[in-house]
Amino acid sequence: MNEQALILDAQKGNLEAFNTLILHYQDGVYNTALRILGDEDQAADAAQEAFISAFKSIASFRGGSFKAWLMRTVTNACYDELRRQKRRPTTPLEPDTDDGEEMDSPHWLADPNMTPDQKAEADELEHAIQHCLNNLPLEFKTVVIMADIQGMDYTEVATSVRVPLGTIKSRLARARLRLRECLQGFEELLPATFRLEEGSNAQ
Amino acid sequence: MNRRDIELLSAYLDGQLKPSDSARLESRLKSDPELVAVMDDLRAARGLLRRLPQRRAPRNFTLTRKMVGQNPPMPRAYPFFRFATTLATLLLFFTFGLNFLAPQLAAVPEIGFGGGGDPASVDLYSQSQPAEAPGAAEPPATEAPAATEPPAVALESAPQPTLMPTMGDIARTAVTATEKLDATGNAVAQRDESQVPSEAPVPVSIGWQIALAGIALLGALLMLLMRQTAFQRWRQKE
Repeated sequence: MNEQALILDAQKGNLEAFNTLILHYQDGVYNTALRILGDEDQAADAAQEAFISAFKSIASFRGGSFKAWLMRTVTNACYDELRRQKRRPTTPLEPDTDDGEEMDSPHWLADPNMTPDQKAEADELEHAIQHCLNNLPLEFKTVVIMADIQGMDYTEVATSVRVPLGTIKSRLARARLRLRECLQGFEELLPATFRLEEGSNAQ
Repeated sequence: MNRRDIELLSAYLDGQLKPSDSARLESRLKSDPELVAVMDDLRAARGLLRRLPQRRAPRNFTLTRKMVGQNPPMPRAYPFFRFATTLATLLLFFTFGLNFLAPQLAAVPEIGFGGGGDPASVDLYSQSQPAEAPGAAEPPATEAPAATEPPAVALESAPQPTLMPTMGDIARTAVTATEKLDATGNAVAQRDESQVPSEAPVPVSIGWQIALAGIALLGALLMLLMRQTAFQRWRQKE
């Protein structure tokens, strides 16, 4: 995929070229929205809105990382959605168990390569991480999602969030520390393979 | 342990420190177990996030032209037809309005509201006021010949700052007023049938209206045809 050529074509109004870019980035955009919003339907809506908005304003893209530019669009769409939720809070329609806990959605367990135990472990881990992410301040959450979940480098994150590099470093460090503290509360719930192992990921 | 140390450790894990800063931090890590513990915490959190499974998008988010409000390119003549059709339609409605309102507007002074352009009605109104024309207070129905005098006097003495009627006008008006006084007996202004034709001509002829309607219809049809052709060509390209 020649990204630059596709971007140039899209800037001339070529929708097919932009759709090719969408197909390449849609999983990342959707995942970013999902981690920020914590809801699949809202994430899908935000991703769609982000792509529409991105196409309409692609003429303003002046080079650099297209992924970072796209991520800025999706974070803006997510912020809009969060503001809307604040103005008009809604109750989720997902069914609850007898204990009042949310039932697992079938999509949550959809990976066909996993055994049921692995699926349950993955489910618990994802729930725990999403819970801790939701407890972070929005500006910390956005940075940690981009850097650690989407694997973007500091410069790309800084471009997306439009804050200086030093602020990104600071927010990321504090977000990681807060997440660690939060996840310690879930340690017993987490499956053994996902427990926090000291020194397991040293670079 | 301060905030700066935590930031250094986090950036160190991501390989974002300068070689000199990295070396300094590594030497500190060898002698500071608390620093090592925090780095392990940061690394563990980072590792967990990175192991988080990436979901696939539930559907394709590709865009359609409708979603982004794109329209097919129209022929060059399209704006001209749009302008002509709009103008013809507006003019057509204007002529309808004009033809409807013109006879009514022409009749307004004769009804007596304001009556700016008809000296007769003004003068007749002044005759109905007893204080201004004392002679008119006498019963006019029985003394018809005598009643011609007071209105004439009143007309001559009535101030006409702008119209300045000629003597012929005044005489004609006086005769008209006399006739009306004779008919009604109480000096109420009446419509002079001889002054308004039975069928007033309309300002815009029907021929013009037909022509405008034809232009509007033809323009609209051509525009529709152009749009359909443009959309068909556009769909074939997709």
